[in-house]
Amino acid sequence: MRKRMVEPGPLARAEGLVVRELGGEVLVYDLGTHTALCLNAAAAAVWRLCDGRRTAADIARALAAAAGGDVSEEFVWLALERLGREGLLAARVRRPSPLACVSRREMMRRVGLAAALALPAVVAIVAPTPAQAASLLGSGAGCSDGAQCQSGICNGGQCV
Amino acid sequence: MAEAVSIDGNLLARALAGSWRTEPPEWELSARELSAVARVLAVSGAGALAWRSVSRTVWRATAAAQDLRQAYLLQTLKAAVREAEIARLFALLDSAGVDAVLVKGWAASGVYAEPGLRPCGDIDLCVRPRHYSRAKDVLASEEGRAFWVDLHAGFERLHDGNVEELFERSRVARVCGARVRVLSEEDHLRLLCLHLLRHGAWRPLWLCDVAAALEARGAAFDWGLLLGRNGRRAEWVTCTLGLAHVLLGARVSGTPAAEAAARLPRWLVSGVLRRWGGTRAPAQPPYTHRAPIASYLREPRRLLRDLRDRWPGPVEATVCVGGRFGRMPRWPFQLANCFTRAACFVAGARRPVAW
Repeated sequence: MRKRMVEPGPLARAEGLVVRELGGEVLVYDLGTHTALCLNAAAAAVWRLCDGRRTAADIARALAAAAGGDVSEEFVWLALERLGREGLLAARVRRPSPLACVSRREMMRRVGLAAALALPAVVAIVAPTPAQAASLLGSGAGCSDGAQCQSGICNGGQCV
Repeated sequence: MAEAVSIDGNLLARALAGSWRTEPPEWELSARELSAVARVLAVSGAGALAWRSVSRTVWRATAAAQDLRQAYLLQTLKAAVREAEIARLFALLDSAGVDAVLVKGWAASGVYAEPGLRPCGDIDLCVRPRHYSRAKDVLASEEGRAFWVDLHAGFERLHDGNVEELFERSRVARVCGARVRVLSEEDHLRLLCLHLLRHGAWRPLWLCDVAAALEARGAAFDWGLLLGRNGRRAEWVTCTLGLAHVLLGARVSGTPAAEAAARLPRWLVSGVLRRWGGTRAPAQPPYTHRAPIASYLREPRRLLRDLRDRWPGPVEATVCVGGRFGRMPRWPFQLANCFTRAACFVAGARRPVAW
């Protein structure tokens, strides 16, 4: 008799991230890519429930219980896909076959009509780097970011 | 490269007045004024500070306000990252037997209402001169290279006090479990004032640092220690505090700075506002950060273009030649500053400072 493979549930990535909660949103800084992301309350709620054991359906049920309304599995998949694309899950997830051929737009339409929560959103935080006051590194010095160099250009770990 | 912008320095001052407090004052600027200053605020590192006030207004959803919000979010995260870095760095130095003091940057941000309100660039560390080479070795090691540190032997041009006395008065803060040494309230406020003056009060954020540190001082704050024994520098410090009051509304009543605030020389206020409002204000540090003169030998045409930027502002010129903050015009100090710098260039010496 063939054993049925049990797919592990989505697992939130924990390594190499700095996470801060701020007024219902969750801010995430990726120490590897030096990118900053802002998860709205809905995306953050899904992310928090990604413990590797819960399936998307389990997460949807947990969210519905917390929100006191309907939360569909499509809603969770929308969030999971976005979280996966931004590297916030230990491994990318794939929609199950009944949902695999539904377009993202269609999913959003369905979810938007029925969800008790706002659509999940993960957006990049982009802000200009403040001008540095002093102590900029001279040409040839070791650096990790153009903001550290007098020239403003970091080339392969060295100021140009 | 930041775009060339020209704004009124007064707008920046109004946008930042009281912004460091737990309860910032009501936002005074119109939507048009906000959109005029938002970019400069963000680039100069004061965007997060302004966001706290703007977020309570009807302008919060405008594109300009959202730019400030982005700065606030990013800085909140970067403050957390920096805090962990500082803890790791101090643990590393500690294991090598190096006692260091953290100044400016993160040390200045501790008195703000939230950690992310003040951006931190490099990590400024001061070590006893006898520990300097050891600290340098630690920072050159594989582990140490991960940190962006500006290392000072003693307090060099940052503070005019005695190194041992400064270390003796310093305090230890707990950061992510690590012991991080910072200056006493008085010594750090003095450092912030003198540093701001030396750099011509170029960044509005530095005056916010001064205002925030002044208002956060404890009951046992020693004004004698802050002002020191040198009358000229005591005048500089009180004038800086007065400037924080006049431009940013820092509370100075009942302090020696109240008197200074009431009789600030006009050139000081106008000079700083001009600096904040210059065409390339946020991206243009005073002459102290421009390319070295020698680099123009290869490209003389660039010298002509940069000459105007090299003319010192009244603040840094006065401090550089150790002048008084009196009412007389500043051009003699500015000329003297130029001559001194030219002489230093010819002699191949470092840039002059008054202490």
